[in-house]
Amino acid sequence: MRYVIFIARRIFQSIFVLLGLSILIFVISRVMPGDPARVALGSRAPQWVVDNLREQMHLNDTLPVQYFYWLRDALQGDFGLSLFTRRAVADDIREFLPASLELVFFSGAIAGIAGIGLGALSARFKGSWVDNAVRILSYFGIVTPSFVFGIIFLLTFGLALEWLPPIGRLSQGVPKPPVVTSLITIDALLAGQLGTFWDALKHMLMPAMALAMGSLAQEARITRSSMSDNLAKDYIAAARSLGIPERSIMTRFLLKPSLIPVVSVFALDFAAGLSNAFLVEMIFNWPGLSRYGMNAMLRKDLNAIAAVILILGVTFTIANIVVDLVVGALDPRIRLSAARSE
Amino acid sequence: MNKLSGLVVMILVMAMMLAACGGTEAPPATQPPQEATAEPEATAAEPAAEERLLRVTFSWPLYADPAVGSDYASSTALLNVYDTLVMPVAGGGTEPWLAESWDISDDGLAYTFHLQKGVKFHDGSELLASDVVYTYNRLQAIGEGYAYLISGITSVEASDDYTVVFQLEQPSGLFVPSLARLYILNEEMVRANTVAEGAYGAEGDYGKTWLLTNDAGSGPYKIIEFPLEEYCLLEKFDEYWAADKFLPNAPTQVKFIGTTEAATVRAMMSGGELEISDQWQTVEAYQALDKIEGVDIRTFLSMTGFYYMLNTRVAPTDDIHCRKAMAYAFDYEAAVALEWPGTPVMDGPVPAELGGHDPNVMTYSRDLDKAREEMAQCQYADDLASYPVEVHWISEVPAEEKFALLFQANMAEIGMTVSVVQTPWLSVVEEMAAQETSPHVVTVYVSAALPEAGLMIKDRYHSSTANTWQQNEWLLDAELDAAIEDALATADQAERFAKYADLEAQIMELCPSLFLYDQLEQHAVVSYVDWDPTEQSPLMGYAFWLPAIGVNAP
Repeated sequence: MRYVIFIARRIFQSIFVLLGLSILIFVISRVMPGDPARVALGSRAPQWVVDNLREQMHLNDTLPVQYFYWLRDALQGDFGLSLFTRRAVADDIREFLPASLELVFFSGAIAGIAGIGLGALSARFKGSWVDNAVRILSYFGIVTPSFVFGIIFLLTFGLALEWLPPIGRLSQGVPKPPVVTSLITIDALLAGQLGTFWDALKHMLMPAMALAMGSLAQEARITRSSMSDNLAKDYIAAARSLGIPERSIMTRFLLKPSLIPVVSVFALDFAAGLSNAFLVEMIFNWPGLSRYGMNAMLRKDLNAIAAVILILGVTFTIANIVVDLVVGALDPRIRLSAARSE
Repeated sequence: MNKLSGLVVMILVMAMMLAACGGTEAPPATQPPQEATAEPEATAAEPAAEERLLRVTFSWPLYADPAVGSDYASSTALLNVYDTLVMPVAGGGTEPWLAESWDISDDGLAYTFHLQKGVKFHDGSELLASDVVYTYNRLQAIGEGYAYLISGITSVEASDDYTVVFQLEQPSGLFVPSLARLYILNEEMVRANTVAEGAYGAEGDYGKTWLLTNDAGSGPYKIIEFPLEEYCLLEKFDEYWAADKFLPNAPTQVKFIGTTEAATVRAMMSGGELEISDQWQTVEAYQALDKIEGVDIRTFLSMTGFYYMLNTRVAPTDDIHCRKAMAYAFDYEAAVALEWPGTPVMDGPVPAELGGHDPNVMTYSRDLDKAREEMAQCQYADDLASYPVEVHWISEVPAEEKFALLFQANMAEIGMTVSVVQTPWLSVVEEMAAQETSPHVVTVYVSAALPEAGLMIKDRYHSSTANTWQQNEWLLDAELDAAIEDALATADQAERFAKYADLEAQIMELCPSLFLYDQLEQHAVVSYVDWDPTEQSPLMGYAFWLPAIGVNAP
């Protein structure tokens, strides 16, 4: 019950945050230079066509009036028409969001497992060559943008070695699975189409790895740092003195409390991955929301910009709520203090 | 229990996120689609051994609706999926296509087209005159795409199933060539897939939603799959009425892929997943592609010219001698050396591929003595430092910067101070919309909408385009306008082309621009593809007339 109240309170608070975000992005997108109707229709379209489209999009109205129309429609799930794809933005979101989510989920899994694993290894062998190697790789991973990794992987595994397909979600001729979640890998598994699952996984590997590198490096460092701090604490010394095996100490006593800062960063990286993936999606021709959003901004596709930013805002909100829940689950002190404050 | 509750809540939240993403199908039309060209889940059969797949990268988006698309990718798809009344041919001009013949009234205002009989749409129904009427009315009602090109028509009527009559407002030499962009739709099919609620009154949405990803054409290829952000997959239409035009090894499936990323294109071509690249790669990227075994770079002249548009309403470029000084000072050969080998310096005010281009028109070439002579006659010669010139290049085309820097260096040789300003395209378009804000020089690639020199001259120098991105010169010359309009109204081609030659000479004398080069269109092509774009019309997209492309075994 406490959790339900907690979530309800957070969702209620988030409404105001999202409202503020929508106002901000609404205003910014409309003060950018360029007439969105003219950009969409091209320079040779007759003025009456441009005027009609401006009228349709309420672009001749004042900003507050435009915002009112937009909010009214958005609350009904209608985000208007995309000037880029020429169809309902809601349909675009439905089509492109799952592709990005699948990519981000997969990259998150890679980053989480590998990052925490490397960080733990580094902490376990602190001061050794293992520790130094992990730290150097971490710095490299943090400072290198994801699109650089993308190009490196593409040229290495896609071009030089030809191990992995360079673009898209599925190879030509591979049957698509029936749509359940719109995540091709999950849907393929649910349908028992292992060939499709494997093909989809191969397509996803390079872009997911490219996206994961930064987070992986970050989480490795934070895990190492957190575990190193906790290693010096009295309860670890007590556990050792009681003769508990080192492996048990590392996993049962050390890893769980060390994960608290990692979880916070992991969730925010996950949400950020959704917005930062556009260059990776462009390189691999991945039909995702991030690329769609970037194209929307370049073309001043007002409705699409607002919708994409809102989706990202909701994602960050959910990520923050999930972080709070997970951290509460990991650290009893946080749960107890929250209970006392109620 | 607390831990369990927390875990359950977390799982529920994740499940909600996943459930919200379920379903990728486009919303159903209010009327059920007939003969939809593809369901998204349908399998595009992998080409069997006897099938031939051609893959080409394009700059996206691609609009498959004939009343919406007018960019390169869209035009390429449209001309292969639909048919037109006339077909543009190499060297300029048109030949009968769906219209096997036509008559022109003595006053040049009425055109009567006689259609081929037995032409089938992709759904098997016959193409009739009523489809032509519907297509034209739809194009004008929507007003997008190529509507601007097919204008000046007062009425279109079907006098019988195979006869269409167009009534013009005034005689026009461009009317017949413009019909190369009127892609004929299957009226019945579009109506069956029209959403009742839309922006076009009784016509609803005019089928725009459905035509985003489907086709209603009769062309040599049909759309079978079109996930919007990724690719458009076409399949050969075996019942095509002009099937004799197919090469024996024409592709059975064609995939237009929406990416131009250099590393991606290179990886695909090297891995045997791409046959023809797009034309938007950098010189360095083409050089890298050329090094791949079995890949060549094929080039051909386009209808695009690269212009330095000089504002004739602001000092110092408002002085003709200053402009001529700049024209003589610029190093054109150095400029084309920055481009792909074989790029020609522009020979006159319009690209050489356009019908009516005069190869004998005077041109400017680098001659510093003449430049200084002209500058000496310029009213600002003694105080040039007080009149710095700004050249605005388009930031979305990074290659333009090196030309701007060359221009800056060349102008310094005649004492002119030039500052190079990187400007986003949208900002340039806004600047050029008003005389007060138009910069001294803007560097723009301009393409002709039809292979006619007169249309390019009109787009570039007629007063009607003075506040658009097509003209920074602000000539506003009533005499020139009248001469352009007279030339375009001339139905006889020889007479019309002679008038174009006069116009070209006038423009060169006025020197309102620097004419840098005709843009070469270049593509990386694998050796097992038989493709000669010079056999087709230079009109945008027609280089990819798919029946004339052959695909052999790799």
